[in-house]
Amino acid sequence: MGCDLVTVSTDTKFSHLAWREHEKELHKVTYPMGSDATGKLSRMYGVYDEGTGLALRGTFIINPEGTLLGSEVNFYNLGRNIDELMRKFKANMYLSRKTNEACPSKWKDDGDKTLTPGAKLVGKVHEALNS
Amino acid sequence: MCECDCECADPLKLGQKVPDFSLETYEPTKGDFGTFSLANQIAQKRWTILFFYPADFTFV
Repeated sequence: MGCDLVTVSTDTKFSHLAWREHEKELHKVTYPMGSDATGKLSRMYGVYDEGTGLALRGTFIINPEGTLLGSEVNFYNLGRNIDELMRKFKANMYLSRKTNEACPSKWKDDGDKTLTPGAKLVGKVHEALNS
Repeated sequence: MCECDCECADPLKLGQKVPDFSLETYEPTKGDFGTFSLANQIAQKRWTILFFYPADFTFV
């Protein structure tokens, strides 16, 4: 199942073009760069700063049915860890196939240890994680 | 409640369906402008990662 990342800021698409084509750090960027110049989407997701007109560093994972499954917001001065974003995305994809399992914090990829919540796991998470 | 006139009286919650949206985009692979819509993603059974950042010409 495929995934598309779209970046969003309150800049215009014209600004996005100029930034993408002039900043050498972005020359490998292939994803669509969305414009939320009105701030409507940013407000909907709770990341709009009314004082500045800018969007905070919010990351949201939406499944193919349109259900919101992941949410993370950092303030202006803290960048995101893409490895952690990919871990959470992979975990959400995995869990959409294995609906009775749960991915613990150290889960990174298919094949890593998962937990199956239920009566047998109560008080036994340590044993399950270290078996 | 926010003070804006958008349809966001209640903040979005995990586990809930989100309202449809569409955005004008710049598409680097085409060197052209385009549109990204959630309805289209759902129609194509694709996952979406929304990645907000404050401003172009700064770090992401």
